[in-house]
Amino acid sequence: MPEGRTQRLQQAAAAFILEADEAALEADPARVSRRLGLSLADQQSFDQQLPAWLTYRELARMSLLEPLETMFPVLMALLGPKDWAICTQAFLDARLVRSPHYRDIAPTFLGWLAENRWGQARWPFLLELAHAEVLEVLVARYPDSELPGGLQEEPDADTFLAWNAATQVVSYTHAVHRASEANPIPEARPTQLLAYRDAEGVVFLMELTSATASLLVQARTIPVAEAAAALGLTDLEPVLTLLRDLRQKGALDGFSPIPLT
Amino acid sequence: MTQQTFTGVGLGLRRTHLEEVARREDHGVPFWETCPENVIGDGGRHFRWASSILDRDPVLTHGLTVSVGGFDAWDQDYLRDLGTFLHRVEAPWHSEHLCFTRVDENCLHELLPLPFTRDSARHTIRRVRELQAQLPVPLVLENITYYAELGHADMDEADFICEVLEGADAGWLLDVNNVYVNALNFGFEPKAWLAQMPLERVVQLHIAGHKRFGDLTVDTHGADVIEPVIDLMQWVLARVGRPLPVLLERDNHIPDLELLLAERAQLQRAYDAVFAPAEAPHA
Ligand SMILES: [Fe+2]
Repeated sequence: MPEGRTQRLQQAAAAFILEADEAALEADPARVSRRLGLSLADQQSFDQQLPAWLTYRELARMSLLEPLETMFPVLMALLGPKDWAICTQAFLDARLVRSPHYRDIAPTFLGWLAENRWGQARWPFLLELAHAEVLEVLVARYPDSELPGGLQEEPDADTFLAWNAATQVVSYTHAVHRASEANPIPEARPTQLLAYRDAEGVVFLMELTSATASLLVQARTIPVAEAAAALGLTDLEPVLTLLRDLRQKGALDGFSPIPLT
Repeated sequence: MTQQTFTGVGLGLRRTHLEEVARREDHGVPFWETCPENVIGDGGRHFRWASSILDRDPVLTHGLTVSVGGFDAWDQDYLRDLGTFLHRVEAPWHSEHLCFTRVDENCLHELLPLPFTRDSARHTIRRVRELQAQLPVPLVLENITYYAELGHADMDEADFICEVLEGADAGWLLDVNNVYVNALNFGFEPKAWLAQMPLERVVQLHIAGHKRFGDLTVDTHGADVIEPVIDLMQWVLARVGRPLPVLLERDNHIPDLELLLAERAQLQRAYDAVFAPAEAPHA
């Protein structure tokens, strides 16, 4: 069934807001309504109210782009205003903002960068950089969940790790977490990070050696002693001390006699 | 929770104030208004503070992105979560804006004006009824500020709002600041405009600040409420003759909680003045 006039009018409003070429809209405000086959009277209403529609355009684009500016200051500094505008317009063109939750806009943008690889030929670390900028917020706002049953507080050789639901271990090829607005180009250095929040919900980032990162990942599915041995860590005591510490900090919920993942 | 809890001037619950509000019970705010989209599915410390407030204090709910007058399929997952949320906070009703926010699956995060036409009104009435059927509490609709008419109108805003409210038999969240801003932008007299409206449908009021940009006044929710808007609030309350809940919205340039509480208290005095017994005439 062809779409009725009311629906096409709404589509015209959306197109007016999201369309890339603002100069073309200013020169010919009716272009989107004409494209949608709306009547002359409807087209004229866009012509006659151009300043107001430009205001809508600005307000809506501001609400879509503001969370990106807030969340990705380092990426914005890396790209500079011109490329940032090109990048975010390409994101708007993809029409991916679907979630009713405002907080989902930034992660959606990150997903689009991952999928679309925008700018990554020029800046191979771009995706990692953007990921590092969102990481703390994702950990901070991860939905609370109930602890799995049967956890023990003390680790031993045969237990498996129970990560806190919000905990993440990430591995980057660049030290992107050290990049800043003043210095947005990260050092090329393999980097492993543990991101977690404590009981109060405050987020912490901890740099890990690659052996420790592997241990934390492996020991979710194989017993602690086995995971340590596989990494050549023959003395288990320092491993258990580390794990106790991570449980106290909140990165781990505890230790399970069975694997939980 | 009985409807009687909701009277006086409440405040919109904002993220920057959650920690402080959660920690103090002496805030004097009779009720809060929260946006379910910001709480549902969230986690972490802000979520915990918000939850503790919602479990402790009376709360009204006010949605942003359901797109009442739109054409997209209802987001069933979200509506299910919303229903659970409304039960949990014991919301007496749930408000949404009389607008559209989504087109072809895209959420624009902006309140966009529905065409003021018979067809658009019929469509919106159908949508309001559909949405109402999926909510556990009465759905209430808020009049928005608008800066442009969408397409060639065959009625004015007042007729459109009346037609939808009557046709869908819905309650009205009357935003007096929105009326005032629209009156400035489109050149009408706010009280004359309100006098023709079905004020008996009003269940709640919104009040807020706005800002002028050149020729256009924008509903920024970013400044103090001005005297003529307070006067409009008092006029409506007096005309309706019932102590309806009024909610002070502040979304931009959010001041310290203390300042916002002071502004609320000032509005509360203006509110109370409407219902105070008339002073005895001088002998
Ligand atoms: Fe409002």
